[in-house]
Amino acid sequence: MLLTPDAGLRAMLTTLWGPGEVEWTHYEHGRGAIEHLFTEPPDLLIVDNDLPDIKGLEVAAIVKSENVYRQLPIILAVSEAVVAESSWCGVEVDDLLITPSSPTRVKALIFLTLARASRSFDANPLTRLPGNSSIIQRIQEMMDRKEDFALAYADLDFFKSFNDKYGFSRGDEVLMMTARVIVTTIRSFTGVKSFVGHVGGDDYVFILPPDTVEEACKRVVASFDSIVPHFYDEEDRARGSIVSTDREGAIKTFPLMAISIAVVFNEGGRLTHYGQASQIATALKKKAKENKKSCYVLDSRGRNAVRENSD
Amino acid sequence: MEEDLKTERKGQLLAIKDLPTLPTVLDEVSKLVARPESTTEQVARLISMDQVLSAKVLKMVNSPIYGFPGRISSISHALMLLGFNVIRGIIVSTSVFEVMTKNMVGLWEHSIATALASSTIARACGLRDPDEYSVAGLLHDLGKVVATVQLPELKIAIESLVKEKDLTYLAAEKELLGFGHDRINAWLATHWKLPPNIKEGMDHHHSPQTAQLYPEMAAVVHLADFLARLYEFGSGGDDNVPFVQPDAFKILKIKPKDLEAICDTLGERFVEVSDLKFT
Repeated sequence: MLLTPDAGLRAMLTTLWGPGEVEWTHYEHGRGAIEHLFTEPPDLLIVDNDLPDIKGLEVAAIVKSENVYRQLPIILAVSEAVVAESSWCGVEVDDLLITPSSPTRVKALIFLTLARASRSFDANPLTRLPGNSSIIQRIQEMMDRKEDFALAYADLDFFKSFNDKYGFSRGDEVLMMTARVIVTTIRSFTGVKSFVGHVGGDDYVFILPPDTVEEACKRVVASFDSIVPHFYDEEDRARGSIVSTDREGAIKTFPLMAISIAVVFNEGGRLTHYGQASQIATALKKKAKENKKSCYVLDSRGRNAVRENSD
Repeated sequence: MEEDLKTERKGQLLAIKDLPTLPTVLDEVSKLVARPESTTEQVARLISMDQVLSAKVLKMVNSPIYGFPGRISSISHALMLLGFNVIRGIIVSTSVFEVMTKNMVGLWEHSIATALASSTIARACGLRDPDEYSVAGLLHDLGKVVATVQLPELKIAIESLVKEKDLTYLAAEKELLGFGHDRINAWLATHWKLPPNIKEGMDHHHSPQTAQLYPEMAAVVHLADFLARLYEFGSGGDDNVPFVQPDAFKILKIKPKDLEAICDTLGERFVEVSDLKFT
């Protein structure tokens, strides 16, 4: 959506993309536009700072103050003179289009703003890893293209009892650590297609080519097991367990946290829906959970076996 | 007035932006991380030979950006959590000393020797995670490096005072600055959010008897510093073998004669690293 009284800017934008590629809805005033924004939010809003009835920044503030519209990327069109005299502290726009500007610059700016918005849209607020909808989208895309891949679901055992005893902020430290262990391990496989996402809580997902995933699981398990004791207090670490109250209020002993990974292979276009993958993973997870230590379970290809950290 | 001067110097020391190192290990590490087949363990082993790179890696992984400040005390854990990309970034942004003085090279060698001695003692005493003792040993004189970079004119004065009056480096620092490198270590460790065990090893290595939380760490580094000087491996900036606090033995529940067995192991380990040259 374009919100500007500037006919020149409007003409330029409409020529940047052919018809059918990008559709612009144009308004010269703020009034009708805001209602439209709220009922049918566009993919992008370019708003001129100098509207006849309302300041562009106010439009931006209205949109950004509502959590349901916050993810709508906004570009503010302003002149050089306005930029110089404004204080940008606390301004909620995603980028600035300085007018006048060249068509190539404007096109690049729009592309980058949209790409940035898609990255941050559902990112996990703690780890900033892509969240659920990005994960599902990625998996579905790979399935649709019939690419071979291994999809790994990782989660932590006894995370809840750790949280109960040490509190949420210590729990978040462990979640951040786990995210880093997974990210650095997956990145260490260079030159392959990979992906790491954070479903939420202590649930993570990663994707690697089928022939590298077992090595990745081994390394994640080994790194996690060697680092996690350092997140406990001296005494619990020495004992190798924590004493905490369970859901019924009884005092119980829990082992140190472990990581379980369930791996689903998609080869030769075996799977067609994201749902199938998560179903298989859930069954494998159960198997992995029977083991109190860190381990990984591989599906199919006769490898349906639980492996522990051999160290 | 005295207090103001101290605060001012503390500010100057902590303002350090660029902590340079010696080129030797830096070159090796950058070659190693450029190779795709290099392992985390190989890189960790090499970084553990350089007090400045080790300090930078620990400072990075313990920074609040990563979300677990003060938790990581081992170089290999730091590498598992940072990944090679970040390590490459640290290496590229690390400069080297323009002038490599004999004293500086000696200090690097002394730090490695103390690191080796620390892990050897920790193992002999049956302490857990001997690698973390090694890290504290490696970093025990970091305050001297930072002071050299931030207060270069004082460094020269300290060195001449050491020679002139045959003082220990620590005594000379105290006479000229009003505080020693142990205090600088404490400031750095707090400022960089290093784990408390490493901090106590760094700031109590001359006074293990006053360490509050991790007296074993302080006692190990104290004895390791002593042994490194005894073997004359590298140089801590003066020619004195420091006085050993008898409390260090008490804390570690060992007798002075237990050092003999430790020395035997240590002698062998020194041979292993003797081909490592910083010049």
